[in-house]
Amino acid sequence: MDISQTAIADRRREANPISRFLASMRDGRGFDILLVAVPLAFLIALSGLPLVYNVVMSFQQVDMFSLGTFWRPWVGFDNYVAVFSQPETWPILRNTVVFVVASIAGQFLIGFALALFFTMDFPGAGYIRGLFLVSWVMPGLVVGAIFNWILAGDFGVLNYVLKSIGLISENIFWRSDIAFSLWAVIIANVWLGTAFNMILLAVGLASIPKDLYEAAALDGANAWQRFWTITLPMMRATIGAVVSLGLIFTLQQFDLFASITSGGPNNSSNVAQYWAWELSFRQYDFARGATISTVMILVVMIAATIYVRSTRHEVRG
Amino acid sequence: MDKRLFGALLLGATMLAGPAFAQENVTITVWSLDDENQPALNLAREFSEMDNGITVEYRQIQFDDVVSESMRAFATGQAPDIIAVDNPEHALFASRGAFLDITDMVAQSEVIDPDNYYPGPLNSVTWDGRLYGVPKATNTIALYYNKDMFEAKGLDPNDPPETWDELVDAARTLNDPAANVYGLAFSAKANEEGTFQFLPWAQMAGGGYDNINTEGAVEALEIWKTIIDEKLASPDTLTRGQWDSTGTFNSGNAAMVISGPWELNRMLEEAKFDWGVALLPVPEEGAPRSSAMGDFNWAIFSTSEHPEEAFQALEYFASQDHRLFPEWGQLPARSDIELPETGEPLKDAALKVFLEQLQYAQPRGPHPEWPKISKAIQDAIQATLTGQMSAQDALDNAQATIDGILG
Repeated sequence: MDISQTAIADRRREANPISRFLASMRDGRGFDILLVAVPLAFLIALSGLPLVYNVVMSFQQVDMFSLGTFWRPWVGFDNYVAVFSQPETWPILRNTVVFVVASIAGQFLIGFALALFFTMDFPGAGYIRGLFLVSWVMPGLVVGAIFNWILAGDFGVLNYVLKSIGLISENIFWRSDIAFSLWAVIIANVWLGTAFNMILLAVGLASIPKDLYEAAALDGANAWQRFWTITLPMMRATIGAVVSLGLIFTLQQFDLFASITSGGPNNSSNVAQYWAWELSFRQYDFARGATISTVMILVVMIAATIYVRSTRHEVRG
Repeated sequence: MDKRLFGALLLGATMLAGPAFAQENVTITVWSLDDENQPALNLAREFSEMDNGITVEYRQIQFDDVVSESMRAFATGQAPDIIAVDNPEHALFASRGAFLDITDMVAQSEVIDPDNYYPGPLNSVTWDGRLYGVPKATNTIALYYNKDMFEAKGLDPNDPPETWDELVDAARTLNDPAANVYGLAFSAKANEEGTFQFLPWAQMAGGGYDNINTEGAVEALEIWKTIIDEKLASPDTLTRGQWDSTGTFNSGNAAMVISGPWELNRMLEEAKFDWGVALLPVPEEGAPRSSAMGDFNWAIFSTSEHPEEAFQALEYFASQDHRLFPEWGQLPARSDIELPETGEPLKDAALKVFLEQLQYAQPRGPHPEWPKISKAIQDAIQATLTGQMSAQDALDNAQATIDGILG
């Protein structure tokens, strides 16, 4: 009886296109499309269009007085040629790679170690883990200002500590010495991003079934073997996601550069994202700024692809 | 009568009378970075409250945003009527026709007379022989020194260094790492401040922004390198602005500092020692003097719908120039104004030196692509001081870049 009634209702819907449309809006394909269309329109308007605008700008000749118009002289790849023939380009790209690799490595390793540490259920573990998130909540500019004091050459806390324990005999000018300036920002960035890594990795660790470990322990596997054969393989998707997100966040990092070294001295701590801003808003060379941003978009797209592929497992699993 | 009630009555009366002169009332907008402790906001308010049918809408903008904000506004047709712009960036707007040519208005004006202004500031509002603005105020840099430290190290506190060699020698004598004291503080930061501090040295030695790799300019940069290498100044000089560098002088961690009159009020408050100000040391005795010229200019945007009224506002601002120093501690860009004594002996003595130094102040540019020229000079300073290039090579590079810009 149920079946025959549904069949009648279906036939009735087919007969009337409007009611069919309304019905599909309620629980059919139309509703699905609507659900997708709203966020998609939002994304296109707020992310897609500026992105396209940025790419277009990198092929145009732009100065501050043509900023308000869209139709500007088309110069093809001139801006790209100009950017890549500047002497500072390769050092800055190298800095960007060092910054990204060192930041991610630091954030990931310390974050993973902390996450493993907090899986040992000791009293207060939850609270202390929560406290670590404070660093993630702090605005970059505030973190930068604090690290400015810590890293100050003449009166910095870090130099004082290092001197007291006998590691260094002379002050290190973290912000002004070309050998250290990039590392000053990396240290601050590792501090800023570690908690985020820790939380994501802790979630991944919690989802590994406990019986796997019990079985392995019964078979005589030691802690090290359990880590290599159970924890790491089971965490593959999480690690992929954390590293890709880390790459995106690190390439976005701007505040710390602005507040700690301003990319100096002599570009020794300058990275692509800060340089793009400098070109656009310090030298008013918007086209070159857009060119560097476009190159970075490509890099981030590659990272995003890796991220999406690594999370695909989770959806299927 | 209760003030509030009175206000309400007044408001009611204005509303009744409103339509009668609504047609004559003109609103002009003024953009400047001044807050309530600085002249522009106060003068704009006073002018707005005068019974002249002109209302001023004032908007405060941040230093870093002045150029980008106003460019965007101009490009989209939303520019204000009047803007205060940093003097090296004036030409950028004037050369592109964004600022109004006020040469003829000034010629008719009873209040503004170009002859009253110092040549440097006046030069910065001039483009192609025409006037595109009025200097708002001016400043320059000189050498502050700690007289107590001079005395303690056996130097004569009334005979500050006059040449570059004397400056380096004095810095060596005053340098005292054990006591956390550097001989000298200045700023070689990779922004406009670095250029601002270095150009006077190049100019005294016969160079200039368009001629930056002369022998004298190379020697100047080599002296900077000596000062950094011998740690006569903190290595953080490369990343620290003038305000923070002077802070180390005020706290007794540097015996001398190169900076401007904007420091005076803070120094009076913070410095717990006897200090003085001397003219910037010259390459050798008898060499020409030079200094940097800072501060902002007034300009009217060419898109203004009320240029007459906007110019009236500029006339009012200029007529109040005599109040700049006593009320807000800024130096008027004019030679016809006697600055009154403040009653603070240290400040008055410093003011005399700054006014003399001002005679030698030279504008940066004017050139429409100043930010790029300045960047080339900053790059040379930083490349040399970090030891990545010799002063000669670095300045040769800068000259090549600047030649490309000057065409």
